[in-house]
Amino acid sequence: MKSTFIFKAVLHNIRHRLVSFVISVFAIGVAFTFLSGVGVVSFGIAATAVNTSLRYPLVVGPEGSSDTQLVMSSIFNIDKPYGTLDYSVYEELLRDERVTAAYPLARSDSYRGAPIVGVNSSFVRDLSRAYYLYEEGFDGQNPLPENDLHRAVSGYKIAERFNMQIGDKFVGSHGHVGDSHAHVHDDFEYRVAAILEPVNGPEDYSIFTHYKAVWAVHDDHSCDHHHHGDDHKHDHETLTAVLVRTVNPVATAQLEGEYSAKPGSTAADVGRTVRRLVEYMNKAEQAAGFFSYGTLFIVLMMVFVTVLMSVNERKKEMALMRTLGIGRGAISLTVMIETMLITVSGIVAGLIAGHIALYFAKPVIDMNLGIDLEPFLFTAIEVQGVFITLIFGQILALAAMFRIYSMNLIEEVSRD
Amino acid sequence: MDIKITEAAKSFKNRSGKVLEIIKDLNLEIKSGSVLKIEGASGSGKTTLMNVISGLISPDKGKVEIGGVDISLLSESEKDRFRAENIGYIFQTFNLLSPFSAIENVYAPAAFSGKLKPGYKEKALEILKSVGLEGFEKSMPYHLSVGQRQRVAVARVLFSENKIILADEPTASLDKVSSKAVFDSLMKCREFGATIIFASHDETFKELSPDQVLSLDKGGAA
Repeated sequence: MKSTFIFKAVLHNIRHRLVSFVISVFAIGVAFTFLSGVGVVSFGIAATAVNTSLRYPLVVGPEGSSDTQLVMSSIFNIDKPYGTLDYSVYEELLRDERVTAAYPLARSDSYRGAPIVGVNSSFVRDLSRAYYLYEEGFDGQNPLPENDLHRAVSGYKIAERFNMQIGDKFVGSHGHVGDSHAHVHDDFEYRVAAILEPVNGPEDYSIFTHYKAVWAVHDDHSCDHHHHGDDHKHDHETLTAVLVRTVNPVATAQLEGEYSAKPGSTAADVGRTVRRLVEYMNKAEQAAGFFSYGTLFIVLMMVFVTVLMSVNERKKEMALMRTLGIGRGAISLTVMIETMLITVSGIVAGLIAGHIALYFAKPVIDMNLGIDLEPFLFTAIEVQGVFITLIFGQILALAAMFRIYSMNLIEEVSRD
Repeated sequence: MDIKITEAAKSFKNRSGKVLEIIKDLNLEIKSGSVLKIEGASGSGKTTLMNVISGLISPDKGKVEIGGVDISLLSESEKDRFRAENIGYIFQTFNLLSPFSAIENVYAPAAFSGKLKPGYKEKALEILKSVGLEGFEKSMPYHLSVGQRQRVAVARVLFSENKIILADEPTASLDKVSSKAVFDSLMKCREFGATIIFASHDETFKELSPDQVLSLDKGGAA
């Protein structure tokens, strides 16, 4: 019964200061929504980056590309490829005994923002052998045959997003989203021959075709009169990158050094580049975390001040409670619970709002970042945030409680 | 419970820092079950004396013994418990806790101190009925008139069966009917042997026939 009375008093106090309660909860909630977003997106990017880097330890690309640009454009399909690489580099890598597998990539066009990536059958086989849908006579062993360059294999998410069906035809746009030189290749149609099952990676948002189809598109369509920059040369028999799997890490390091030194090519150790990216992201996450914590600190101070103001408003009532024999402990407890209730409500509201927002933003985030976001994943930064806020909230609650406890309410009221 | 005040003094500093002696070397004995009327002008120290007796404020010197216990020696939590068990307070205004309904205000002190006994609700209802507040048990304080609020405060004292009742101008803001109801309730308290200490200018209270009258002027007992 005592706890019911204390809780009832707390609810009453909150009801009487509903606006300040809602503002306080909202402010804490916003900080936590931000924290959830930062945590889940950072985790999604890092997880995808690490998983992908395990698959292809080395990327060889055109000379002049930075490691980050090469990895981002060839593995995550985010950045634009820097230029082109001679096809002979791929053939040379295939012959190298330190290489266990090499996959050619030719990127240039896109379909409604999704990259059309020129690869070969072995790349698709290596990526996944599970198909969600495929056309009659489709051979999973040779999904992108050279004698059918119009054939396309779509990633699961992009097919779902654009409601692609088997047999659908589409044309690519030359260039990338936002590129001022973009134009449509309406003289070369692709046909959706198969849709892959999800692989939970950037490939889910790509459309694969044979790299020779990319050559064919640009053979038919002279690009010379389109004033592309140097990074958009489409010479015959060129690639944008080669994904390489090696016998061991020593071979990776050797090949990286060799191909970086060769004229016309450069190489990037995917693991090291991804680790660097993840470190950058961790720093960004920490910076965002500090921002969130800064916001939380200000909000909690605001909560503290409003609670103390409400204590001053309620001095008379608290004095009456004392005359009725209601102890300082019980009175202080109401203030402490009130502070905690604001903090916990803010945390819960923020976490729920944050994860729901991530759920709705998932398609856009996934497609733009090439990741498979888990919107309801509870991340370490959120756990940390909850603990810090609860501890800090508790300290403020104790400070408010101490303020009440040390007040001589009767004398304060008598003075008033 | 006998009350014995020995050489008690209490002073306050006002906002300009001037020391005001409210009670000066007061000696007083009140027998259990008796009625003490405190007289004095506004600011003479009536409320301060009641606060000293209830242990809400400590005298600067001297001691206050209730039932043989020097309450100034009790810890704050012991004083709270002592008040909850023995002392009932009725003020001129502001007697009720706004978060709680009329009936909850009646048993709030017992609830907060964890001393509610089985059948407490029935008892509270009965008492509210006896002070003329049948049907108002669920009303919140801000829905009650001043007179009704005072009667809830009296009902709280009756519910707690306090041994000492401090009534500080309990009918000052009431009409005659409400004043009578409060007076009748205090008479009931007297019937169950409570010691009543009151300050009132209300003519109705003349019938309470105090056993003692303490006149305070500024600075001490007259």
